[in-house]
Amino acid sequence: MMKQTRFSYIRGMMRPVLMFMTVLLFTGMATLVLAETGAGSAQARIAPVGEVRLQGQPPVEIAPAAAKAAEEKAELEAAPQPRRADYPNVGMSSRAIVWVLAQMHLFFGALVLAVPLFVLMIELVGVYTGDERYDDMAHEFMKISLTGFSITAIFGGSLALALFMLYPDFMGYMMHVFGAQVLVYASMFFFESFFLYVYYYGWNAFRYGNLKWVHLTLGLLLNASGLTIMVLANSWATFMMAPSGVNEVGAVVGNIWEIMKGPLWNPINLHRFIANIGFGGAVVGAYAAFKFLSTTDPEKRAHYDWMGYTSNFIAILAFLPLPFAGYYLMAEIYSYSQQMGITAMGGILAWLFIVQAVLIGTILLAGNFYLWSGMSRTEGSERYKGLIKVIAFVLVVSFLIWVTPHTLILSASEISLLGGSHHHILGPLGIMPAKNIAVNLMLIATFLSFQLYRRSDKVATVRWAPLGNALLIGVYVAAVVNIIFLGVYYGYFTNTVYKVGSSVAQVSTTLVVIVAGLVIDTLMFRNAKRLPSHWGRIPDRAQYALFALPIAFTWLMALMGYVRSSVKTHWHVYTVMKDNSPDNFIPTIGYAGNMITLVTVLFLLCVLFMFWVANLSGSRQAKPEATAGGEA
Amino acid sequence: MEEQNTLGVGGRLVAVAIAIIIMLAVFYGLDHMIMGMQGLPLNPDLSPAG
Repeated sequence: MMKQTRFSYIRGMMRPVLMFMTVLLFTGMATLVLAETGAGSAQARIAPVGEVRLQGQPPVEIAPAAAKAAEEKAELEAAPQPRRADYPNVGMSSRAIVWVLAQMHLFFGALVLAVPLFVLMIELVGVYTGDERYDDMAHEFMKISLTGFSITAIFGGSLALALFMLYPDFMGYMMHVFGAQVLVYASMFFFESFFLYVYYYGWNAFRYGNLKWVHLTLGLLLNASGLTIMVLANSWATFMMAPSGVNEVGAVVGNIWEIMKGPLWNPINLHRFIANIGFGGAVVGAYAAFKFLSTTDPEKRAHYDWMGYTSNFIAILAFLPLPFAGYYLMAEIYSYSQQMGITAMGGILAWLFIVQAVLIGTILLAGNFYLWSGMSRTEGSERYKGLIKVIAFVLVVSFLIWVTPHTLILSASEISLLGGSHHHILGPLGIMPAKNIAVNLMLIATFLSFQLYRRSDKVATVRWAPLGNALLIGVYVAAVVNIIFLGVYYGYFTNTVYKVGSSVAQVSTTLVVIVAGLVIDTLMFRNAKRLPSHWGRIPDRAQYALFALPIAFTWLMALMGYVRSSVKTHWHVYTVMKDNSPDNFIPTIGYAGNMITLVTVLFLLCVLFMFWVANLSGSRQAKPEATAGGEA
Repeated sequence: MEEQNTLGVGGRLVAVAIAIIIMLAVFYGLDHMIMGMQGLPLNPDLSPAG
């Protein structure tokens, strides 16, 4: 009774506190936007103070005209153009130092932003289903990532120090351009930390009834502050690639909103948001695999098998729309600067897109293999096993098409043997239309694996099930025909504009398959007969697919992050502020490959540390037995 | 374990064939719509009209 009263009291207290915090958060954000835009700007509010008006007289200027002109000039200050000597020399490549720190910060930042996103969703599923296992799993996911928040902050602080020390002029300019926005960014960390700790440590205190909704609200606010941090930081990266709100010499002419909302801001926001979720799912999946392999207790194996499945589900589901977000980003890059687009996909960096294809192929093959292995959990999967071979065939052939390069590095004798620089059969597979077909077919095949997996423990009881299945076959067959037709006809037999435009129709076809598949299955398996599923009954080798996923994801992020940053070539801020440091060139592919591998290995070592710490919190040393001498 | 099959083998094949035709028509319309939205009109035989 007393306990209930205390909870009621806490609940009564928490509501106004939470409401106050929410209002505070959003008022702060609204004030920032108002302060920096249009009528509500600080200038507009301060201006009347500087004017003295006498009745019947024209306004008198207090500040002399010369001072006003100097003030305006100071405001329209061009971007600095540092010389080579202006860059401090610390005895090793400044770019390499910043590269490692920035990439490590981004890896952990991505992880700790993503995990609370899907944790909140899992918690919500737990509330709606009333199944406490979801709640426990969500809590465990948070436990794994908790150390990640500190590591993110450590690398973030180190990165800031390194940037200010090694690139003082550039950082001075960025501070001048973004002004108080960086303080808003810093203040968001306070909000995020506050919500994070209350959300994590209050998990069991706010577990049932209305308090659960308080807890979910905290999770929502944690994610709101995390996403605000992400989009603010993204605006710095996109300003460097495609500056806005400044004139041709880099002088600030727009307000902070115009500076932030450059042409690449939203494409990057979308791409990073989706990619982070996939990445976070892959990393926590590795934790589940590690725990699964390190225990023989059937109950624990069942739990970690389920956890691994959920992580894989999150990672692959987020991964499916990612190529489309990538296309959107590249299309915007081309729209902003064709030169920049060609540097990315037609110059030295183009070869990295072949490596990207290998890594994405690895992710899809590993994800599919895990699903096929997981089908052994239920006897119902026997019905679909024949289709796995077809899916595997489509995946492998599409993968091979995707990794086929357009141009080859050949000697003179090889060129004469080949009859030209392009292979007469494989050459056409090296260009985008073939790759667009391959990517879309791989995504459709992966979705089919998902669909079969989800169907394997169910038997439809609705009368129209055979018609539903026929419709689904129709959707898949017609979609494959349409994707191949669009790629081949518009890709090879019409002009470039139609070639590019047809890729949008291909993507739409793939999305139709995904939506139609989900809708038909949802309706068809309503009140379906459930077959027993045996969590934990999965081959050990399937767990190695869960290890492959975060490794490939990490490598991919490092690779494509490097490409995104390199398209600026010898500019700190594209076309506005030149990079005159000794590293103002695109490094060789080999050097970049080594750096990318180094940061990937470093991140994985830190992740192992994170897993170890998460494991440590659940361990307790046995009390030493007293020896004969009475000493422990 | 098998789903209740209210159609025979022949009926299933007919249903699948009809479904494929319907979906091909749907994608035909989708191609026209998506390309048209991008300012790239198509002729009825799907060749570029622009």
